[in-house]
Amino acid sequence: MHLNTQFMWETFLDVLYGIPVTLKIVAVTLLVSAPLGFLMAVSKSGEGRVGRRIIVAYVSLIRGTPVVLQILFLYSLLPTALNYLIKEVLGLTYNIFNLDPIFYAYIVFILNTTAVLSEVFRSALATVNSGQREAALAIGMSKIQAYVRIIIPQALVAALPNICNTTVSLLKSTSLAFMMTVKDITAIAKIDASFGYNYLEAYLVIFIVYIFLCSAVQGVFHLTERNAAAYKRPAAS
Amino acid sequence: MLQVKNVRKAFGDNQVLRGVDIEVKKGDIVVILGPSGSGKTTFLRCLNFLERADGGFMEFDDIHTELKSASKTVVSKVRKKTAFVFQNYNLFQNKTALQNVMEGLTVARKVPKAEALARAKAALDKVGLSERYDYYPSQLSGGQQQRVGIARAIAVNPDVLLFDEPTSALDPELIGEVLAVMKKLAKEGATMIVVTHEMSFAQEVANKVIFMDGGVIVEQGSAKQIFTTPKEERTIQFLRRVLKDYDYVI
Repeated sequence: MHLNTQFMWETFLDVLYGIPVTLKIVAVTLLVSAPLGFLMAVSKSGEGRVGRRIIVAYVSLIRGTPVVLQILFLYSLLPTALNYLIKEVLGLTYNIFNLDPIFYAYIVFILNTTAVLSEVFRSALATVNSGQREAALAIGMSKIQAYVRIIIPQALVAALPNICNTTVSLLKSTSLAFMMTVKDITAIAKIDASFGYNYLEAYLVIFIVYIFLCSAVQGVFHLTERNAAAYKRPAAS
Repeated sequence: MLQVKNVRKAFGDNQVLRGVDIEVKKGDIVVILGPSGSGKTTFLRCLNFLERADGGFMEFDDIHTELKSASKTVVSKVRKKTAFVFQNYNLFQNKTALQNVMEGLTVARKVPKAEALARAKAALDKVGLSERYDYYPSQLSGGQQQRVGIARAIAVNPDVLLFDEPTSALDPELIGEVLAVMKKLAKEGATMIVVTHEMSFAQEVANKVIFMDGGVIVEQGSAKQIFTTPKEERTIQFLRRVLKDYDYVI
């Protein structure tokens, strides 16, 4: 067996252009999903009954189906549905099929990550002792102040390891975006490989790229965790 | 100054408070005694709305309110006139000792930062923790944590300090330092309502002792009256049980 190293180097250089696309999907997804997931976690532990049922149904729907299936389903459904909506209902002339497919990737991954993060935040909020909230209220803070200043900072520290997991698995799932013709790392590697059937080499290259990216994410979280959890460390004495 | 009447509270079928009245004047040190499950802690928690009573009426200076239907504004007003010291300290884990004490000033009462800092430091100095400003709760002993808890409570200059079994979670050797701080506050004229099992504190410091059992006040009076000439049978039984320790000679 012989690996085409020249091809691997060229593929590597091509794939570098996919990294920003991949990271963009990760970043946009997290920026939208984190606040949404948090709101869902709070309202799930709150009083609203109807809201809670809807959230439970949504979370089990998302978690109970494969991401690949969600992609296939939404990528079949959304363009046609949106096209109908724009042309027939709103009477506009915009051609939805010209839309950058990355938007579909955003939608799928946001739907997914929001569900996961809502569970992450819910369990993290549950780790904060109820006495913390009582002490905040007793000293005269409002419920919102208690949340913002006391409960959320502690919950976030508890949630960090799971947020890291979620981010890493999101980063890896973005490789499925090629199914929606998004030109991410995986898509570029596949395109390069298809010219001369160098699939093995192309996949080896992106193996390394993904390992590097995921390690970088974990490194960042590790540092954040160390700083954020300073209050848990015993004093140097 | 503070008067509550007919406080009632049930958890499900369990009627914990069956109509409790209390009157507190400025400078009073009220100690509430009673076996566990008698409703002492629940009563204290109803006073600052950590627990919402099912019934009862409160007069607190210019505040007149039903306990059950008290509005958000009233609740907030009452909480700002009181401060609560918890059995488990409940210090903010993510804040240093100094930040713990400042939080109630800067955030809840909008005291300017410089003034809050000075008041917080003074409060920590008073409880003997001038060396521990920048320690996190996890870095302090139980006794030190509870003293921070007391500093947090006195820093806001409350009209009434509420203590919920402040020494129950402490090692016996750490109880003394917390009681010493509480005695000091009592001497300086603070108004306190204290739920405790520390009989010596009740005997030495309280000017009013309340004995609760089964969700009602069984007997109340001066410390001397309750400890030397209790009238009710249940009070006598309780005191005999808890004071038994003192009868033994080893």
